[in-house]
Amino acid sequence: MNRRLARGPQAGAIGGWLAVALLLFALFADVLASDFPVLAKVHGALWIFPNVTQPEELAALGVEETFASAEWSLAPLVAHGPGGGVGTGSTAALLPPGRVRSHPFGTDREGRDVFARVVHGTRTYLVFAIAAVFASLCFGGVLGALAGLFGGLTDALVGRAIETVSAFPPVVLVLGIQALVPRASVGTLFLAIAVTRWPEVARLVRGEVIQLTTRDYVMAARALGASPLRVLRKHVAPQVRGQLAVLGAIGVPAVILLEASLDFLRLGGRTTAPSWGETMSEFRDAPGAWWLLAFPGAFLCVTVIALHLIGEARRARLDPKTR
Amino acid sequence: MLAFALRRALWAFPTLVGVSLVVFLLTTLLPAVESDAGASADDVAARLRVDDLRRARFLDLPAFLNTTPQDVEARVEECVVHAVADDADAPLCDKRFVQFGGSGLPYLIPGFPDLPPGPRGRIALALAPVARRMNVGEPRDFDDGASAALFWSRFWDDRSVDFTAPAVRREVDRLVRRGSDLREDDLRKVDTFALEQLVQIMRTTTDRDALVRLTRLASHITNHDAVVNANDGALRMRAVVSDWQSWWYVHELDYVALRGGGKITASIAQTRYAKWVLGAATGQLGLSPRDGEPVFDKLVSRAPVTLGMAFLALLLNLGVAVPLGVLSAWRQGRALDRATSLLLLAFYSLPTFLVAEILTTFGRAEEAPIFLPVAALSTVSLAATTQQQRASMIEALGQDYVRSALAKGARTWRAVVVHALRNALVPTVTLAGIQFPILVGAAFVVEEVFDIHGMGWETLRAIESRDAAWIVAVTLLCAFVTTSCLVASDVVYALLDPRAREQQLSVRRRST
Repeated sequence: MNRRLARGPQAGAIGGWLAVALLLFALFADVLASDFPVLAKVHGALWIFPNVTQPEELAALGVEETFASAEWSLAPLVAHGPGGGVGTGSTAALLPPGRVRSHPFGTDREGRDVFARVVHGTRTYLVFAIAAVFASLCFGGVLGALAGLFGGLTDALVGRAIETVSAFPPVVLVLGIQALVPRASVGTLFLAIAVTRWPEVARLVRGEVIQLTTRDYVMAARALGASPLRVLRKHVAPQVRGQLAVLGAIGVPAVILLEASLDFLRLGGRTTAPSWGETMSEFRDAPGAWWLLAFPGAFLCVTVIALHLIGEARRARLDPKTR
Repeated sequence: MLAFALRRALWAFPTLVGVSLVVFLLTTLLPAVESDAGASADDVAARLRVDDLRRARFLDLPAFLNTTPQDVEARVEECVVHAVADDADAPLCDKRFVQFGGSGLPYLIPGFPDLPPGPRGRIALALAPVARRMNVGEPRDFDDGASAALFWSRFWDDRSVDFTAPAVRREVDRLVRRGSDLREDDLRKVDTFALEQLVQIMRTTTDRDALVRLTRLASHITNHDAVVNANDGALRMRAVVSDWQSWWYVHELDYVALRGGGKITASIAQTRYAKWVLGAATGQLGLSPRDGEPVFDKLVSRAPVTLGMAFLALLLNLGVAVPLGVLSAWRQGRALDRATSLLLLAFYSLPTFLVAEILTTFGRAEEAPIFLPVAALSTVSLAATTQQQRASMIEALGQDYVRSALAKGARTWRAVVVHALRNALVPTVTLAGIQFPILVGAAFVVEEVFDIHGMGWETLRAIESRDAAWIVAVTLLCAFVTTSCLVASDVVYALLDPRAREQQLSVRRRST
């Protein structure tokens, strides 16, 4: 999509900068929003980043005590963590943004800070999506390479498996797996999403391997006694790597969208990890609380756009037509 | 052309087999029923209940190959062995004899003289509830084993002529045509032996009075509680009949003996997988545990809502994307093109549920005009379709025939629409076939947000109540729709572009 936008170097660069910003959000989520102070001097000892390191002494004191007994402390940007109502200040449910200064994005139905949940949700979503896409790349890549290298029965079996899995709409397959598995959890969701994505990868790798192994230089390498593994590593992998990167970059935003939809339907199997979809689904029980929809939605959009732009820019660089 | 279409359709067959295998394996992952029934070995009633639960999901059968299919004859013989040995399973077998009832008698009573008196008396006494069910004999006939055995031998001498399939069929036919209590009583006297005919004739009977008698009789014989009452509506009648069909599908071999070729086909047909696939293919998807409605009926009433909505969304999508794609290809690189791509990027990044949620501010459920959910749904694939249309249009516009059309003096719009668009539409239309299943999946979310009672809404309710039968049915239907769409899309493509035919048949790499 949007070749026009993606073709120019600027689109990819915009995507890249946005992605870097998101990564920073994910990395420093605890510094941006946490119950604990960023810096604190308690009983004569200086604690640096206690909200990240979670030292036992301070945890035993509790949040209120820490702030009370500190000689001085530096609170994070927003003095609330993604968890439920603990911490300083108001914990009223469904506070609109701006009403209370310590809740810039307002609070959700359980009085949790929306900003904290959105920022920490970045981490949840990025880690999950990247891991799921990586798993599908590995699985699909190995199967596709096997099918392309050995042909015959292996190829037929892998081909059937690819077609079978592609016969389900992804949402339906993930829903089905989540519904039928005895205990649905984040783990099963992870597997289910990886399952829906590997056929695309396997199809690509298989095609490339078949095409490349008929090239003269690969034939020559094999004639010289190179093992299939060496052929794969030295001749096929460098060619396929770029396209796999594109598939991965395109896949991450798609997975994030799918995951958010499932969280929105409350089928993600999540328990405590903050998630955008979950916050947005609360809007359905609290119509009028637009901030529950707007802020996570904006983060979701920006993430998807950023990653998508990167993917398209990579694809455009690989495509000889646009280069 | 037809040959190509058929060949392409045949290719979908292994995919459907694969789909059924995947769903089958998923269903066998369901938590075992034993755990929730909590039965001990001594509690005969609980064991029977657990057995029934297991059998309803064909868990008593081997997964893929049944080397020793168990029909009523084999089951009776096995139980006789237990009774003679008087082992731990003997009390269970006493209950089983009652269950087999009339169907078991032809394999039981003729063998009485060969049995030692003890087990013979025990079996004859165990059959007392059957006699009560048939309304034959006196209580004193069952005072002790010897008299009970004598009673059953006499009974068999008198009545074995009634225990033949043609005789029973005649009786059941008469009961349907001119029902009378006397005839019903006569059929009671062959007990479960009549079940096969009863259940078969239920399928074709629409007369309520006949159904009342048939279901009352079947229910009396089997203790399976599903009866049509005199004042029931057509819907309830259908539900009861389909309940009996699926019950029979599970329990058939408790009452029917396999003969000749049936034994060979049974080794394949009497397996968990085959039973499940055949049941699904013939629309026997079971009953929904939530409201007792047959899953198949519910699917027939819900699926058109979802599929219709997805279809409308696809039309809307094409209606918007094609002009948009043509325009931005024509004005390639200009402000319009840039604005379009920005807009599409925004649409792509907005999750469906968010768009739907925003649109619900204009109304949801019944008061929402059908345009709203369809519009929300069509944003799912708008970007991809426009992109495709734009790309193929740019290619078409660069072709020589467009240039010569312009050189000939054709108007610009004519060159664009008539000459270029005709060819550039082909990939877009075939892409639609791939997008339809995606729209069906997205419709699940949209239905939930707009509170439209379609397939997706029902599925989410089913997940809450762990209604596996419905989830399996929906998954199968979606896979079937997807596969058909792929086949249709390939065939349409080949129709529009004959060059693609051979290519598709040799290299089967579709991007979905």
